[in-house]
Amino acid sequence: MRNLLDDYALVSRIRYRNVWLKLTIAAFGLLVGVSSTSPATPLFIALSMGFATLFFGKTPLKFYLTVLLIPMGFAIVGSLVILFFFGSGSEVFYFEVFGYRLTANAGGLEMAILVISRTLSGMSCMFFLALSTPVIELFAVLKRSGIPDSVIELSMLMYRYIFVFLEVSMSIKHAQTVRLGYTNLIRSIYSVAMLASTLFIRSYEQGEKLYLAMNSRCYDGKLTLFETKRPIRATEAVLASIYAVAALSLM
Amino acid sequence: MHIMEGFLPGPWWQIWFALSIPVIVYGIYKLNRLVKENREILPLLAVAGAFIFVLSALKLPSVTGSCSHPTGTGLAAILFGPAITAVLGTIVLLYQALFLAHGGLTTLGANVFSMGIVGPVVAYTIYKVGMKMNLNFYLVVFLAATLGDWATYVVTSLELALAFPADPGGVMGSFKAFATIFAVTQVPLAIIEGAITALIFKYIIQVRSDMLTRLNVLSDAAISKIKGAIS
Repeated sequence: MRNLLDDYALVSRIRYRNVWLKLTIAAFGLLVGVSSTSPATPLFIALSMGFATLFFGKTPLKFYLTVLLIPMGFAIVGSLVILFFFGSGSEVFYFEVFGYRLTANAGGLEMAILVISRTLSGMSCMFFLALSTPVIELFAVLKRSGIPDSVIELSMLMYRYIFVFLEVSMSIKHAQTVRLGYTNLIRSIYSVAMLASTLFIRSYEQGEKLYLAMNSRCYDGKLTLFETKRPIRATEAVLASIYAVAALSLM
Repeated sequence: MHIMEGFLPGPWWQIWFALSIPVIVYGIYKLNRLVKENREILPLLAVAGAFIFVLSALKLPSVTGSCSHPTGTGLAAILFGPAITAVLGTIVLLYQALFLAHGGLTTLGANVFSMGIVGPVVAYTIYKVGMKMNLNFYLVVFLAATLGDWATYVVTSLELALAFPADPGGVMGSFKAFATIFAVTQVPLAIIEGAITALIFKYIIQVRSDMLTRLNVLSDAAISKIKGAIS
């Protein structure tokens, strides 16, 4: 359960590089990937972003592949529908299920491949950002972008408490598991419900305590943040622009 | 049920953003007013958001054996109302994308629309109507959470179908196909989540019913009536 991308971002080698540069690279890849019409561009983006995350950021390959597996499962199921129902053109292959004929035609096949490659490129851009930039550093960026303070503050407090509650829920879950709480479906439903309600009560109490603690430290509805200045290095800028030009020329 | 990054082509991902943003802005407006009125609410909402995130990171027991997660939207909508749930849901979905690789950034608009807006609105409406009709409280919660989940799943299928209409059959054709495939996991999952949500309320009422009165979910009279029915 504790497979958070954020944990790996904290130890990434490129964590202390300019946040805006990383954000631009990721956003560029996302937009170009999703609007491309051939699978070549997204695949190129996916490869470059994967290379940047694994080689520059030194994220473990095994973890990278595991997290990539979840979205790919969804993409493949979705693409199956596209493959058999979308588009026109010559028939590529077909098979029969329960006397119902499913045909895949050229248009559908092309679209399915394009969608899978887009998902792959989008996910790798997102992973590049998520595995190199801890969310704390994104808050400063969000603050600049004009999102209301109350929302940013809400997100910051949430970020903090996600880790607290994950810890609590994991220890409750372990305790329930050793007491055979998850041996069959009915028991697991009861166990999950108990876990969630305890967690709710704990979090409510924690929220009250948090308010008291913050209030007694002169909390006036604003948490100030420092944005650390990290200049973009020449090599980074050159590499990023080569990548951008290459991706655009493949369009 | 999240739509993964890059799955929706333009103009669809922009359209879903355009539809979601006004609702989120309205939610933020409501949130700001609430916070101004009662500053105590902000830390509380923050822990509530964290709670929803953790809930959605838990693995649910599933019949089909697939890995499945509760959405927690029904619970949040009943506790905080749909407008605030939209804001909380947006932040939770963003964190899910960045922490757990569920969902995505360009598809955030579509995901917010299905999971942060339609699901909670349906759940909240059913909850309100059910309570007005004086039905059994746990039954109402169960129905609200289950139907809210189903609404989410129908809207997600529709979002996918609109982006990829079938050749013979159009949008309806591919909607049927997407809906059938995802029904395998989503239909039983929603029922399980409904049961769990009802049980969660049962435990909260037994242990700390005062929390629900303070969140304006139930009145004192309603709680004593429910408690009387149990014992």
